Amino acid sequence: MPDIRELGPQGRGMLHEGWSTEVADYVIVCGWALEGNAFLVGDAAGGLYAFEGKSGTVLWHRKEVHEGSLLAMSIHPDGDIFATAGQDGRVLIWKSKDGESNKALDLGKGWVEHLQWSPDGQFLAVVFSQYVYVFGADGEEHWRSDKHPSTVSAVAWSKSNELATACYGQVTFYDVLRAQVNQKLEWQGSLVSMVLSPDGDIVACGSQDNSVHFWRRSTAQDAEMTGYPGKPSQLAFDQTGMVLATGGGERITVWSFQGNGPEGTVPGELDLHIGAISSLAFSNRGSLLASGSRDGSVFVWLLQKNGHGEPLGGAFVGAHVEAIAWRPDDCALAAVNANGGINVWDFKNRIKTSPKGFS
Amino acid sequence: MTNKQKVPVTILTGFLGSGKTTLLNKILSEEHGKRIAVIENEYGEVGIDQGLVINADEEVFEMSNGCICCTVRGDLIRVLGNLMKRRDKFDYVLVETTGLADPGPVAQTFFMDDEIRSEFSLDGIVTLVDAAHIDQQLGRSDESSEQVAFADVLVLNKTDLVSDESLDTLEARLRDMNRMARVVRSKQADVSVETVLNLGAFDLDQVLERRPSFLEPEYPFEWTGIFQLEPGRYEVSLEEGPDPMMSLVVVADQGTDEESLNEGAESCVRLYAEPAELLHPGDKIPLNKHVNLQLQSEGRKSFSLEVEKSGHLGLFTQHTAEEFDIKVRRMDTSVSESGSNQPNNLLIPPIAERTWVAQHEHDDEVGSIAIERNGNVDPEKLNAWLSQLLSEKGVDIFRMKGFISFADEPRRIVFQGVHMLFTSQPDREWGNESRRNQLVFIGRDLDEEALQSGFDKCLT
Repeated sequence: MPDIRELGPQGRGMLHEGWSTEVADYVIVCGWALEGNAFLVGDAAGGLYAFEGKSGTVLWHRKEVHEGSLLAMSIHPDGDIFATAGQDGRVLIWKSKDGESNKALDLGKGWVEHLQWSPDGQFLAVVFSQYVYVFGADGEEHWRSDKHPSTVSAVAWSKSNELATACYGQVTFYDVLRAQVNQKLEWQGSLVSMVLSPDGDIVACGSQDNSVHFWRRSTAQDAEMTGYPGKPSQLAFDQTGMVLATGGGERITVWSFQGNGPEGTVPGELDLHIGAISSLAFSNRGSLLASGSRDGSVFVWLLQKNGHGEPLGGAFVGAHVEAIAWRPDDCALAAVNANGGINVWDFKNRIKTSPKGFS
Repeated sequence: MTNKQKVPVTILTGFLGSGKTTLLNKILSEEHGKRIAVIENEYGEVGIDQGLVINADEEVFEMSNGCICCTVRGDLIRVLGNLMKRRDKFDYVLVETTGLADPGPVAQTFFMDDEIRSEFSLDGIVTLVDAAHIDQQLGRSDESSEQVAFADVLVLNKTDLVSDESLDTLEARLRDMNRMARVVRSKQADVSVETVLNLGAFDLDQVLERRPSFLEPEYPFEWTGIFQLEPGRYEVSLEEGPDPMMSLVVVADQGTDEESLNEGAESCVRLYAEPAELLHPGDKIPLNKHVNLQLQSEGRKSFSLEVEKSGHLGLFTQHTAEEFDIKVRRMDTSVSESGSNQPNNLLIPPIAERTWVAQHEHDDEVGSIAIERNGNVDPEKLNAWLSQLLSEKGVDIFRMKGFISFADEPRRIVFQGVHMLFTSQPDREWGNESRRNQLVFIGRDLDEEALQSGFDKCLT
């Protein structure tokens, strides 16, 4: 019998059953609002739900909010309002508290697949096929991009007035106040996902050809990480920007940016899921990574600076894990799945991890 | 994790005006019990009251390695990825492409993307052909011939606008380009839904059942006539025919039974492979030699033939006797003494005749090649050969289908590929059936001999 302490500082059982429930359809989006007091969920049929954060009691429920299907949700940094978008080409802005919508933005015939509030909550970036719009919280249009060469596949804010967009062949940084291009990073490949390091210097993109491509903005240096068995659509930086966790297969590959890395280094590999990784989320503080898989499994890992890590706990939810979200206080973890299932676990971290992560 | 049934996908291609929209509407309006999600191209204008019609801009993405075989349809990946979350709403997907689309990237999407591959299966590619205009289109654009080459079903549409004769010619041309496809004729895209959906296009047995002559050998000659001749001199005469030249091999001692005919045909194939000697009217035709008869002058042309001992002489001609009105007459003086004024009596009819499946003139760059061999193949050798072949010729090989026998595997291994990508998986058990292998390649400027000898080296 191995010493249980060798399996991890706390052994098993780090995820304690909290509450669980089920909604009508495939859950597409989720997130915590109202400082963790509400858990918001949107499903494929366009159903929108708010659950009380601790008990799972339904706070409110709206039906068919987007015709066709709901595709995206972004919760405002203050947690009081949030935005949803769908196949109907609309963006709706909602109040978290009562589920009342006071703004509807119609972009036209087409899908709205991505939404992102700026870090200061002043702007909402909206992707509409080959264009990106920036609206104020009041719904007023502030800026609109030129036509991109292909459909925009991801957006991310590097700072409150600078927005990055990814599409086939390029990542572009726009100053949305001055309406100008700050930087364009080009590479011939179909970029399917994008994350920025918290300081905004590193841009990482998952590519259709089963690789992760990244750039350092300060030096314009770029590098390519290949050898993934699948398409790395899931990417997550920890809050210090030290490690980048990537999916693209059954194994989580973690690249460490310490020293001169990750170029020329061996990544950490977290290998417990049986199916392909479908979601990744770092805790808000500390160096905990939560991962969900198409096989219905969820794991929490404690990572080291060098990208290596060990499992702290796991659970099985029975269906493709579509999204995963840490409560703002990191004391609970939620996962939503393809069968409409919602699972929330209390997470008690009895070991000391630096609240500042790796630094 | 449950093993869900993959959703079948049909790709609908064809030039503008070929009738795609009509067919699409017909499929959607018919009672077939399927809930079909349609992914329509940006120019699509299907005005239908159907739940799931999604417009997609065709975005063809090349990969960073710059290989054109590795192109995918980015829009399809996004749309299908989202559709997967609404699986309760549909059980079939139809993808309509624009007229000028290269079907390669669409088909490759179902091989290249791991998520799409795990949820959807490519059921078949249906190409609509405008019978009145396809001849011009084939000459003018690569996309048009690629659409024909990629098809599992070719719907020859608007047949009411052309004569039966030109339809036959057109169908033969299309079959030459793609021997794998089923050809269906229609007036206003009025084909039954079963001919285009749920093809299980990979059912090779079905393909073979439909076209029994699919793998029948082709010969460089269309006709054989066997003549019983006594020693003496003979005249072989020909009328003007479809060509100013015709090649021929005359074989001594040709038997008339089936086996001898096939043996003769095989040895003639070898003789036909040798360079032909050009003969002008009046020249003597040598035995067992490949010759070209020059037939440019007007009227009936004669060549002579000398027979030393009596027996059966076989004429293996490039075209049928009918086309050139080929006649054999005795020219000996010994006979003409008694009946010099009755030349017609000297006409010698063949004692046996045979027409062969002719090797068509492959005018189109795009064509298909079939390999059929008995026995087993070595998996490693096959893999090495295929890898090399596809990396070198993948651009020109549009599609590949077939099945293989491995000695240690009780089941057939079926192959299916698009350009450089291919999948193989075990299929039904061989049982008592004798082990054999069949592969079909469709592509541009394919080297049949190289493919066959390459495959032969993989046999154990």
